[in-house]
Amino acid sequence: MTQAGATLLEAREICKNFAQTRALAGASLRLRAGATHALLGANGAGKSTLSRVISGHIRRDSGEILYHGRPLDVRSPREALDAGIAMVMQETSLAPDLSVLENIFLPDLRRSGRLSRSAMRRRAGEILADLGQERSLSLEAEARDLSAAQRQLVEIAKALALNANLIVFDEPTASLSPSEVERLFDVIARLEAGNCAVVFVSHRLEEVFAISDEITVMREGRTVAASRPTSSLNQTELVRLMVGRDLGSIYATPAAASAGRGEPVLSVRNLRAPPAVRDVSFDLHRGEILGLGGLIGAGRSETVETLFGLRPRASGQVQFDGASFAPRNPAQAIRAGLGFVAEDRRRQSIVPDLSVRENLLLGHLGAHRGFGLGYGALAAKVDELMERLELPRDRLADPNLLNFSGGMQQKIIIARWLLLEPKALILDEPTKGVDIGTRASIYAILRDIAAKGAAILVISSEFEELLGLADRVIVMSDGASIADVPTAYLDEAKLTLLAAPRSSMERNRRVLQELASEQDGAAFWAILDEDRVFCLNAAAANAKADPALRAGATPRFEETQIAAALRARSLDFVLDPVSGLRSLLVDVKSHRGHELGSIGLVIGPDRTAPPADATRAAIIERFRQTV
Amino acid sequence: MSPPSPLSASDERPPRRALNLKSAPLELRMLLLALVIAVVLSLLSPHFLKTANLLNLLDQSVVVGIVSIGMTFVILTGGIDLSVGSVAGLTGVVLGLSLHHFSIPVSVLLAVLSGAAIGLFSGLLIAYFDLAAFVITLGVMAIGRSLAYIFSGQTSISDIPPAINDLVYTTVLGVQTNVLTLLALYALAWGYLTYTKGGRTIYAVGSNREAARTAGLDVLFYSVLPYVVSGALAAVAATLMSAQILSIDPLAGTGLELDAIAAVVIGGASLYGGRGTIVGTLIGVFIMVMIRNGLNLMGVSPFWQGSAIGGIIIAAVLAERLLSARARR
Repeated sequence: MTQAGATLLEAREICKNFAQTRALAGASLRLRAGATHALLGANGAGKSTLSRVISGHIRRDSGEILYHGRPLDVRSPREALDAGIAMVMQETSLAPDLSVLENIFLPDLRRSGRLSRSAMRRRAGEILADLGQERSLSLEAEARDLSAAQRQLVEIAKALALNANLIVFDEPTASLSPSEVERLFDVIARLEAGNCAVVFVSHRLEEVFAISDEITVMREGRTVAASRPTSSLNQTELVRLMVGRDLGSIYATPAAASAGRGEPVLSVRNLRAPPAVRDVSFDLHRGEILGLGGLIGAGRSETVETLFGLRPRASGQVQFDGASFAPRNPAQAIRAGLGFVAEDRRRQSIVPDLSVRENLLLGHLGAHRGFGLGYGALAAKVDELMERLELPRDRLADPNLLNFSGGMQQKIIIARWLLLEPKALILDEPTKGVDIGTRASIYAILRDIAAKGAAILVISSEFEELLGLADRVIVMSDGASIADVPTAYLDEAKLTLLAAPRSSMERNRRVLQELASEQDGAAFWAILDEDRVFCLNAAAANAKADPALRAGATPRFEETQIAAALRARSLDFVLDPVSGLRSLLVDVKSHRGHELGSIGLVIGPDRTAPPADATRAAIIERFRQTV
Repeated sequence: MSPPSPLSASDERPPRRALNLKSAPLELRMLLLALVIAVVLSLLSPHFLKTANLLNLLDQSVVVGIVSIGMTFVILTGGIDLSVGSVAGLTGVVLGLSLHHFSIPVSVLLAVLSGAAIGLFSGLLIAYFDLAAFVITLGVMAIGRSLAYIFSGQTSISDIPPAINDLVYTTVLGVQTNVLTLLALYALAWGYLTYTKGGRTIYAVGSNREAARTAGLDVLFYSVLPYVVSGALAAVAATLMSAQILSIDPLAGTGLELDAIAAVVIGGASLYGGRGTIVGTLIGVFIMVMIRNGLNLMGVSPFWQGSAIGGIIIAAVLAERLLSARARR
């Protein structure tokens, strides 16, 4: 047994090529038993590839791995599991037809001998209880019926059931709500105490600082910082290590949000396309970059695919460019002036048997009416585009776009749509698998065409990208648009809280509702900035006590009915001299000590205020049960 | 499997060698193979290179060649059409029965239209209801042959006007019209697949259906069209076949689908769709016909010919897989 703190696994100079793409070019990683190691890097840095090499999903081309001090050469995930190495995959690998229980114990099914179903049930129940899911996740449910977050949790449970010595978590939190993330962190802490080595891959730096002991940073397939103690690094340094330069230069400064906004080009009201899209409304204006944020599984991709005619819509009104808009297929949407860079390049964008030039011209071919190709007339425009996108023109003749790097591929796909000069362009995760240099130029292109009057809608799971690029963010949760916030008032923490799945927001809202009716007043959950309140959730029992706060709204203090209380941040009730409302603010934290904003309670005008200290304690207690 | 995690590092290109067989276009490789076979056969048999035999080769290529055009369209979209042989048989019977009532042009038109209609039926079932092409065309194959027997009264139709012979034996500059038809159809198909929106869409649909749809291409229409073309061309082949022998047998065209699929595959097309060319198919047809002809000239038992053709199909596919796997690595 390896001692706590001793090196459990060491990977040295790992190289891996896919076709002509160099995914790993000398990556190293050293993991200690009983420690959580954060593996960081920008998109395409090779984190996932390195994780998969360690867990046996991919074989390395060269380099060596020492495990318990001995060379390790796993050829399959099964061999890795036998050695005690498990991985929680980013894209879930559950068998859709099997139950939650069967999925959790899928790796055990190959063992000879009989499985005791009752023992499996007991063990699975314990694991789910650790994850806080004992009530919400049935062991008998089929995997296909689970939400994205539930699938991720089952994936985590599957790894935990193996009692592995080393677990790699590849972006486990991308679809989880804040409370689920907290439970996961508790579980990771317990794994550490049990002398397990944990690798944690995440884009969210806050999380990395919250749970990791050491950090390794990768860039372009190499390790650029190895096993640095987390306490020795700060956020700015980390970003510089990941990006290789200061982040400010990637996102050119956003144009003044309000200045350039023109009339709405795309106006969506109550769009429904069950099961993924339940109620989505927003306006997209000429010349702006609008972000569509939320957790994985919130229905963002499904929303834009419905708008683009790729999925049937059940109901809702959409206006595009001043006319009613209901495309039955992408061709109609394209001809109306909409462009769509889909999320999965390989599946939805690239045609491998057509040349790079024809891939670029594919959107034109879709929009083109006529028998011939109409390529000739576009030659000059293609050349000009290639120049603008800094793409070498002679590569157009290459037979296979798949041989290009992810960044080059994405540029060609973006060029496919720019060629059509769309009035509005939708991009779903435009920088997935794109190297950092190309990301910067993609951002610059998007800003450029927005400045020329195009409307741009960007979906991104990287909150930081959304905040850096967009002028405004529509937040979606469980298939509904729930907030429309200028990015100037947002940060990652607020976005994370806002994007929480409806179910946890509903629980929270019930508590607010109870508080409001007990005092015949109103209650809200908000984050307070210097002079602005950012409301996450609100409920009112008495219209006269309504402080004028709505979920997703970001009013200045003086625009609310309780400005005095918001400014004072007193521990006691504060009487507002203007509105005459009496209110109390209570700061709330998660049980791990994470700040979660404030709960506000407004007393109805006909009531007398209860004792402040007792009320505060009661609110904190009730809030803890919901988050 | 895992998607390659892409990096700009891959922008380097592999070094290019002069005249590299692996990177040469597929048609060129196949043409070389055809030439090698021709040289070998001319060494083995003194009759092979005689003008009469070469013209004979072209003549023998007509029926399977024309059917292979439609098969290429279908295979390019990732489908397969097992019904072409029985559609040729059925449309031949349609032609024979029509000739009892109508003029030659009208009868030919009816045969071709009925072939197209059968293709439309299969195509719609396959594309609209997303059913397996293999299964649907297998069903149509059985139905077609059965109808051919029923409509013909289980006997061959031989009372057809001898004038229809002109469709085959009129010569232009010393070349028979059936061969000219073959070459003209190949030229048309090549132009269509290379220079029209429809042709490129067929490639895109076969290569990545989802991407084609997202780019706004009419995936449904261009998934059905190849089956219509295939059915219509099976009727054209049946017409030329009947015109040549002045007799229509309900059994005609049996096994034609396998020859056509073999020609398309030898010509380098991928059964997964998206890859293949019409020129490759023509070369594939010639390779098949040459080998059969050569074996006949050498007096090889017809029972051995199946083994020879089968072996060559397997060798061609294996060689293509090995070469392209290496080229892509």
